[in-house]
Amino acid sequence: MIHHLAFSLALTLLTGAAVAGTPGLDEPPAAQPARAIVVPTMTEQRLANGLTVASSARNDLPLVSITLMVRAGPEQDPPDRAGLAAMTAALLTKGFQRGSVNVSATALAQQAEALGNTLDSSSGWRSSSLSMTVTTTHLSAALGLMAQALRQPSLANDELERARAQALDGLRLALGDPAEVASQVMRRTFWGTSAFGASPTAASLARINRADVQRFHARFYRPEQTVLVLVGDVNAENALALANMLLADWKPAAAAPSDAPVLTKATALPALVRVDMPGSGQTAIVVAAPFVGSGAPDRRIGQVANAVLGGGYSARLNQKVRIEGGKSYGAFSQVESQPDAGALLAVTQTQHATAAEVLAILRGEIVRLADAPPSADELSARSANLVGGLARRLGSNGGVAALMLGQYAQGRPLEELRRYVADITAVTAAQVQAFARARWSAGTLRSVVAGDMSAAGPALDEPGALSLKLPALDLSRPDLVTPQ
Amino acid sequence: MIPVMASELTALSRRHWLRWLAAGALAVADRAEAAKKRRTGAKKVSTKGKAKPKGKSAKHAATVAPEPAPLLPPLPIRERRLANGLQQISVVNPASAAVSVQVWYRVGGKDDPAGRSGFAHLFEHLMFKGTKNTAPESFDRLTEDVGGQNNAFTAEDMTVYQSEVPSNHLERVLWAEADRLAYLTVDDKNLASERLVVIEELRQRVQADPYGRLFDALAEYSYSQHPYRRTVIGKQADLEAASLADVRTFHSTYYRPDNAVLVVAGDFDPGQLDAWVDRHFAPLAAPATPIPRVNVTEPLRSADRRVVLNAPQVPLPALALLWQGPPANHPDAPALEVAAALLAAGESSRLNEALVYRSQIAQSVGFSADLHADAGQIVAYAIAASARSLRLLEAALFTELQRLGHKAIAAAEMERVRARLLTGALLARQTPQGLANALGEAVVVYGDARAADRRLTRLQAVTAADVQRVLTHYVLRARRVSIDYQQGRAA
Repeated sequence: MIHHLAFSLALTLLTGAAVAGTPGLDEPPAAQPARAIVVPTMTEQRLANGLTVASSARNDLPLVSITLMVRAGPEQDPPDRAGLAAMTAALLTKGFQRGSVNVSATALAQQAEALGNTLDSSSGWRSSSLSMTVTTTHLSAALGLMAQALRQPSLANDELERARAQALDGLRLALGDPAEVASQVMRRTFWGTSAFGASPTAASLARINRADVQRFHARFYRPEQTVLVLVGDVNAENALALANMLLADWKPAAAAPSDAPVLTKATALPALVRVDMPGSGQTAIVVAAPFVGSGAPDRRIGQVANAVLGGGYSARLNQKVRIEGGKSYGAFSQVESQPDAGALLAVTQTQHATAAEVLAILRGEIVRLADAPPSADELSARSANLVGGLARRLGSNGGVAALMLGQYAQGRPLEELRRYVADITAVTAAQVQAFARARWSAGTLRSVVAGDMSAAGPALDEPGALSLKLPALDLSRPDLVTPQ
Repeated sequence: MIPVMASELTALSRRHWLRWLAAGALAVADRAEAAKKRRTGAKKVSTKGKAKPKGKSAKHAATVAPEPAPLLPPLPIRERRLANGLQQISVVNPASAAVSVQVWYRVGGKDDPAGRSGFAHLFEHLMFKGTKNTAPESFDRLTEDVGGQNNAFTAEDMTVYQSEVPSNHLERVLWAEADRLAYLTVDDKNLASERLVVIEELRQRVQADPYGRLFDALAEYSYSQHPYRRTVIGKQADLEAASLADVRTFHSTYYRPDNAVLVVAGDFDPGQLDAWVDRHFAPLAAPATPIPRVNVTEPLRSADRRVVLNAPQVPLPALALLWQGPPANHPDAPALEVAAALLAAGESSRLNEALVYRSQIAQSVGFSADLHADAGQIVAYAIAASARSLRLLEAALFTELQRLGHKAIAAAEMERVRARLLTGALLARQTPQGLANALGEAVVVYGDARAADRRLTRLQAVTAADVQRVLTHYVLRARRVSIDYQQGRAA
């Protein structure tokens, strides 16, 4: 509470309500009237084959950001093939068939870069995509290249072997970093055996063969599952014409997928998991709490609650851990919403000796929100921060495209973006408190620490905690432990 | 490729907030959340860690070929200098209702006092700790709490404070920047707590990242005499030795209007901006004392050197090669930047194509010319793929460097790199913050805001022969330091 007294005192001094100051001399001058945040027009159209064309025109620079996104990702990985969706997406930039001609990975990269930029692929929940930003003159050529890469990738065996070797080395690097280890262990700890609990492992990557990749591509890369997003120097009419020219002849090869991913969620793991990484430079800490799914009516309330806790430099977690405590370079939280459920994740890194203390602060702040709703100033600051985040993303083609793609990946209408500012600013402190009270108590939290456990000392040795050494970690198993 | 979190509005790229900034960690961006990519070697052809020009620049400039024709309409730059020496650079762009306010101070890691490595950066943190008129963290009240953001970074030659706010808050930020330039107050408690934060930052960047110790070590092997040999982040013992007296001396020595460049970009009215700058900055006096400047010449390296660095938790061994580079404003700098892009920017770049893709002997590679005000370093690095030896990696790296230096470069390849560099610069200028960054760097590193446009033109004019000449001169015929980095007990 001391922090909040100090906080409101600082605000009082700044606004001059209690101490007479002279604006512009010994206190900040008054703000001018605000300019409204304008969400640009976003047009959604559809081709006869079901492909969605979404566009938003911005004409200040001769640039267009292009993304082709298929609405399927790692949630569709078979249980023993974690990494398949990501591997398939990675192979999109590794060559394609043009008629009977095979365009190699190198040729594809060179053709893309000749148009002014790299062709990037990415994979995320409900999303596998190709993207590129080019000057307007190269728009048609770039989209043509991307359409071919998405529809007829070679998915060649030697490319699969390369991608696998790189993924395995990437995994080795990740497992040397306490922050990565803690984050992956938390995924399994929080989401249990559901599709969202899986992370690629050396064993799951080793199992993926070319037939798996081809099957995944045939099954999910389909026009009615695909969204083309164009943002920048292109209008809706041209967007549709381009899509008709380059994507209208796309007919899916296989029957539409019918079965949704299995979302059983059973976690038998204890409230604290400790991963010992002798010699690591810091201890990474992640605390998870239940959050709402992407379609939940109170999702905006939850987002404000997250902002109060850890959404920004001045939010409660960083205030306690960094600003007041000097115990970390930063402590933040983020939320992950899946269709039916979600997670709030509070994340930080600290020296081993203070790990137990910082873990207690993260847990304490999450739980405390149920009893200590945000003050009026705090709520208005955190809401403004969320609204400002939207405004900044609206300031660039890439930002607008990311907002639109986020809506498609979440299965939410574009129209929702237009209401975002009003919805966020309507959230009250009482709603935030009720949201926290319904979900965030000591019993609902899950914690993972990864670091040098002998240096962290006995304070982290809580009764019932699962302790394992890094070499014994198996992320594919519900209990995380490699069988002896 | 590991799946990323579903991105919500509140979770923009935050997955990466804990990550090391970039190869060499030259610019230390500080208020967290500056979501930067992990080093890839490709992304960081030129870093923020550039520098202001020195006297000798005029001589170099005289040797430059005739200026190539510009490719873009010039930025509508407005320039002023107040009587107290403060430089003001601005560009109006009302495309969004936001404005970026940045103050670039000509002081950086090279100015750390003796025995106080990391001090300029620690000081940068303290600039958020309140003034005669404001409480600690007031910048967050004036930026983040109204929907804006703030950050700061310290590099070898400069310290930069960056705020971006809804444009109706412009005057408030101008007032606050002038206020902390003139009236900073730091007490023992703030110094103690922020010192702890910086030491955790050091642990996070250098010790927790498996390759942190390698990139932290580069500077001391690149430079033998120049203070660039101390890293910007510094050593823990030096940070622990910093006192309140050091803080006061540093502020009065370097934080003065004639050592600062104010950059404003985005949505504002020019006349109103000038009036506000006059109101808040003109009353600040510049001291009569001269500003101390580092005046050390880095000698030419006379012999090759091999170093082995051991560290705990190194998943795959790595190799770094270091050569001496010219200062940032040297006429050879654009050709080195193009050489770096040919070698390591993008998947079809030479080193990626040969070492990562074709022979698969590297997990990742990088090549960059990190050129500062007084001297530069050129770095090639590679992380070995599983079970590949560092000697094999080194030989393959040299094969590619020789090939670029001596075999013909296809016109199409030069075109690709030019297109890539141009698109990248245009994209960066889209936001007020990106535009202000380009202007600030142009003034502080190249001595002229118009250098932002000129740099692009010069990059486009670099020929294949230029690339081969600079690669031969600075790399193939030059002395190098080779560092092997591997798991083991530190010496």
